[in-house]
Amino acid sequence: MALSIGLDIGGTFTDLIVFDEVTGELQQAKSSTTPKDLTIGILNCLKKSRFDMKECRNFVHGTTVAINTVIEGKGAKTALVTTRGTKDVYRIGRGNRPESYNIFFKRPEPLVFRHMTFEAPERLRASGETWKPLGEDEAEAVAREVLQVEPEAVAVCFLHSYVNPAHEARMGRALAKLLPFAYIALSHEILREYREYERTSTTVVNAYIGPKVTRYIDGLEKLLDSLGFSGSLLIMQSNGGVMSPEMAKRIPVAMMESGPVGGIIASAEIGKRLGHQNVIAFDMGGTTAKASLIKDGEASVAEGYHVGGYASGQPVMLPVVDVVEVGAGGGSIAWIDEVGGLKVGPQSAGGDPGPVCYDQGGEEPTITDANVILGRISPANFLGGEMPLNVAKARKAIEEKVAARLGLSVEETALGIIRIAVANMSYAVRGVSVEKGYDPREFVMVASGGAGPVHAMEIARELKIPKVVVPLFPAHFSALGMLMTDVKHDYVRTYYRPLAEADFKVIQGIYDEMALIGRETLRQERVEEESIRVQPFFDLRYIGQEFFLTVPVSVEEISSGDAGAIRLAFDALHDRRYGHKAAEEPIEIVNIRVTAYGVRKKISFPEKKALVESPAIKGFRDIYLDDPRNPVKCPVYSREALPSGYIVEGPAIIEEYASNTYLSYRDRATICPYGEISITVGGIE
Amino acid sequence: MKVDPVTLEVIRNALPAISNEMSYDLQRTSYNMMIYEVGDYCCALLDAQGNLLSQNLGGVSHFVADLAVVIKDGVEKIGLTNFQPGDVIIANHQAVCGQHLNNVCVYTPFFFKGELIGFPIIRAHWVDIGGMSTGFGAATNVLDPWMEGLQLDQLRIYKGGEPNTELLKVIADNIRYPEASMGDLRAQMAACQLGLRRLEELFTKFGRDVLLDSVKRIFADTEAKCRKVIEQIPDGVYEAESFMDTNGFQKDVPLRIKVKVTVSGSDMTIDLSGCDPQNKGPYNSRTLAGARVAYKALTMPLEPVNEGSFNALKLIVPEGNFMMAKYPAVMSGWSMPIPTVVDTILKALAPAIPDKIPAGHLGVLGGTIVFFGYDPQKKKNFIVQSIEGGGWGGRPFEDGASASVSICQGDVRNAPIENIELKCPVLVQERVLRQDSGGAGKFRGGLGLDSQVRNLVEGRWNLVQTGRRECPPWGLWGGKPGDVSDFLLRLPDQPEWQSVDVALYPVPTNSEVIVRTAGGGGWGNPLEREPEKVRMDVLEGFVSLEEARNEYGVALKPAGHPYFYEVDAEATKKLRAKRMKEG
Repeated sequence: MALSIGLDIGGTFTDLIVFDEVTGELQQAKSSTTPKDLTIGILNCLKKSRFDMKECRNFVHGTTVAINTVIEGKGAKTALVTTRGTKDVYRIGRGNRPESYNIFFKRPEPLVFRHMTFEAPERLRASGETWKPLGEDEAEAVAREVLQVEPEAVAVCFLHSYVNPAHEARMGRALAKLLPFAYIALSHEILREYREYERTSTTVVNAYIGPKVTRYIDGLEKLLDSLGFSGSLLIMQSNGGVMSPEMAKRIPVAMMESGPVGGIIASAEIGKRLGHQNVIAFDMGGTTAKASLIKDGEASVAEGYHVGGYASGQPVMLPVVDVVEVGAGGGSIAWIDEVGGLKVGPQSAGGDPGPVCYDQGGEEPTITDANVILGRISPANFLGGEMPLNVAKARKAIEEKVAARLGLSVEETALGIIRIAVANMSYAVRGVSVEKGYDPREFVMVASGGAGPVHAMEIARELKIPKVVVPLFPAHFSALGMLMTDVKHDYVRTYYRPLAEADFKVIQGIYDEMALIGRETLRQERVEEESIRVQPFFDLRYIGQEFFLTVPVSVEEISSGDAGAIRLAFDALHDRRYGHKAAEEPIEIVNIRVTAYGVRKKISFPEKKALVESPAIKGFRDIYLDDPRNPVKCPVYSREALPSGYIVEGPAIIEEYASNTYLSYRDRATICPYGEISITVGGIE
Repeated sequence: MKVDPVTLEVIRNALPAISNEMSYDLQRTSYNMMIYEVGDYCCALLDAQGNLLSQNLGGVSHFVADLAVVIKDGVEKIGLTNFQPGDVIIANHQAVCGQHLNNVCVYTPFFFKGELIGFPIIRAHWVDIGGMSTGFGAATNVLDPWMEGLQLDQLRIYKGGEPNTELLKVIADNIRYPEASMGDLRAQMAACQLGLRRLEELFTKFGRDVLLDSVKRIFADTEAKCRKVIEQIPDGVYEAESFMDTNGFQKDVPLRIKVKVTVSGSDMTIDLSGCDPQNKGPYNSRTLAGARVAYKALTMPLEPVNEGSFNALKLIVPEGNFMMAKYPAVMSGWSMPIPTVVDTILKALAPAIPDKIPAGHLGVLGGTIVFFGYDPQKKKNFIVQSIEGGGWGGRPFEDGASASVSICQGDVRNAPIENIELKCPVLVQERVLRQDSGGAGKFRGGLGLDSQVRNLVEGRWNLVQTGRRECPPWGLWGGKPGDVSDFLLRLPDQPEWQSVDVALYPVPTNSEVIVRTAGGGGWGNPLEREPEKVRMDVLEGFVSLEEARNEYGVALKPAGHPYFYEVDAEATKKLRAKRMKEG
């Protein structure tokens, strides 16, 4: 036996997926997340599923410990060391107020006290030349000052350290010597890209969460050790890859946004297996719906993000799988605003108390309640029948809180709530596709999350996406996706020059250095030489623009200095993304990027049995499709019973343990050889 | 026809989504920092009568007004029946557009089944429009609109899809950075095209009648929401007055801003008749922005804007007022007084809604860093540009924010030091919060900052005072005013910093400049501030020990550690009692 385990800690549940590489069998287990000590929840989950940890070869783990530490403000007592004259850069930030008319706007809450911020007497120029050198003794003097405030962690960010890290390294050594107990984060070890505020913030976040994440991973390693685990432990990152526990302790900030990533990677992989390189991953859970775009088999990546939202959040300038999120989930509340307009979300009843139909004290009608009233979710078979739903209460809530005030029937209102939610969710999908210049008609949507398959066909119809795939285990998709990831590290170096004046020998040197660091890091993580893949990128823009586009280039284009090919690729991407280009205008390089992959063997599922006989329809249920007065009697299937090749014509419902696929008129579902449901969306010419 | 509530809600969300997508597109493809960094633009959809269907969020707030006049004027000059698909119209003429000439409007007609429905429009700040308009705009010492730059009066640069190449050449030949401005024009047109495509999709999906009916209802809903907020304000007439250092024309005569706000039920009237008349200085404009920004901030600050947002606001700005200047007038500094106008309107309402109005903020469009010259090493011209934020007033429930841009600027970002130094031969030696610059109060004003720059080659500095060097951000309810803004210069052979007010000022290598922004005013009596908060402020260096004692009446003593203090409760009690008695 050889097992691979994916373990995903979410806000409410800890999810486990165990894959037997020999039999191809999958098991899942769920237990409540234990926020005080996450490892307790992990242990509960491991105990629930009966297998021997000694058999486990790969253990991939995604956790919210990093992001929660920031959001809850429970990180380390952190000090910051900056260049002389710039101690307030971290507080001043960019001075912007994204909420223009809000006279009570909130600035990002600094994670470091000002009296714990120190300036080192040093200065570099943008070229990397030294303007004011930092002596060993000066560095030590600063470290002594830092010592006096007794920090648990220290972040260091000097101006222009992205081009010349010598001073930062010197400061780091002095700190390590005088504060051996402290967690130390140097900006150049995390990212080497210009923009001091964003780099400082990223470094501060890293230091702030460093001690806690380190303790957490140490605890997890100890726990696994005690269970006899001797395989490799890997930690999920925001960029869609995994990393070793050692790297995770050094750069914990790289795992901040790893939450939704597993599902996106799984969507890409499932897409590939079904022959689709271009996929829109759509995930709808309890509070939000998320969309991301996969082009040519690769998830789109953004160069940075703000923890806690753009308006008042902490910037983190590390690659993150690009996700557009809207406040529409199963628990999103339908309400009437002060002038009688019908609204859905963003407030959510979450899992506790949850929708009214859960009968756990929820009083506000939600999207799930609307689905139950419309018959699209079965009140009897929810969570495999473990949790019967109270339809009467759901009806009453919609009647009293919404329908009566609009003068509509309960069914009309329920259909309206779904329509508004679908329109809102389609903005998330548009955000990753249409708005980036991609035509959704050329994509397949992979729908996951407990509520995803219920709404996916409606969203697809709205955007004319011709095909939807509902994967196996849609409600445990994130954990499953962790078993399909590669080890992945990103590197960046600012190299600022017009393309026409670029010195490709210098670029080759920068590329070689980053590629070497990448390969070396992967080797230390026990990645085999033949599994290593290195991809360079240039950040390019027309001279005069500020925003750049990240364009993949080949190693050959670098070594032969093929600026022409690089420029053509940039023009084409600009045209696609923004609808125009300027082939005559000079362009410039801003950054060189390298991504180093350690390609891992992906899990594969056993084939489903071929069609032998027609599966028994579980029964029929009245479902409201689009007419609020006349429900239609629709067949209900059990997903487990559907053999490969079987075709279900909508309208119909396909039920499974923690999810539900809803097919409307002319939707046509086919069961794939490995069990995925592939749906041709009706009503699209 | 009655639109069902569900369709209505879908359309309500769809219209702002179009303007926001246009904005995203424009910002990412523009060629000058005024657009991509400062957000000095707006993207909107208007109907053929000039009603605002939607406008992008974020960016520069004072663009919330003044689009309708452009469309109405264009329709009048071109004629409703003369527009055709593929037209692109350009306009910035001061007589109608009423702003500095760098703000160039570009719009395209939207036809649905042959009927002219409306226009996507983008007004954006070009880096140059000829005359003296370079960078942030023409200097404030220009004498008339023709010195400011080119005036474009509702001209079709494309007619039925065909470019007017001669007109485009005239424009390109008469501006300094034609690549940049033509690039911005391209970005504006592309974003308008995007607006057209999205409108087409939306109208096709819902049909003309459903859409236009929904729009009426959306306006009515928005108006009703605003009215519900204004209803909460006690009826009355509220007045306030404030000043800027000069009226822009006579150095020793301040500019007077006097506002009268009348609340009656859910109606609000903002009367700006008491403000100074227009003059030969640069502060003139034709704008409703001051009152509209204030009204928006009071009613629905986080919601999208549409015509309904201002239906319940009556605005009085008589012809000849400096904000309704008759043509021709200099408008190169048109937006400079607006943040103070907004703040004065808020101040007027403080007695009516004391728990909703903060003390005065920096009141100007930031501290601007502008230095330009020739870089002998890179062999090319350069320009350093950044907008530095200042302090906001103390709030009725917490301290004001530090180092943030004004009420007329939203997502306006300063230039990173590393970015400036990568591009230009200067050294930013400091960017620091200024101790004691926030007005003392129960809730302290936010701090202003000092940005100190050394030029490493010779060049010219623009250090034109922004009009509030002598008129500090005010305190409220016993709070003290904040520290003022300033420009300081130190030439290489000078020992002292000098406060200056100069434009295009030539300096030798190694001169140094401090761009200083104001701190916000304090809210409430500083003697009522919790001593613990004062202790924290001193520990953090926001407030000095002396100011803690003198302004807040808090005595601190060292607590056995070089960085830590504790409140001397006994001494503080005495000190505060004494201060209270002194009044």
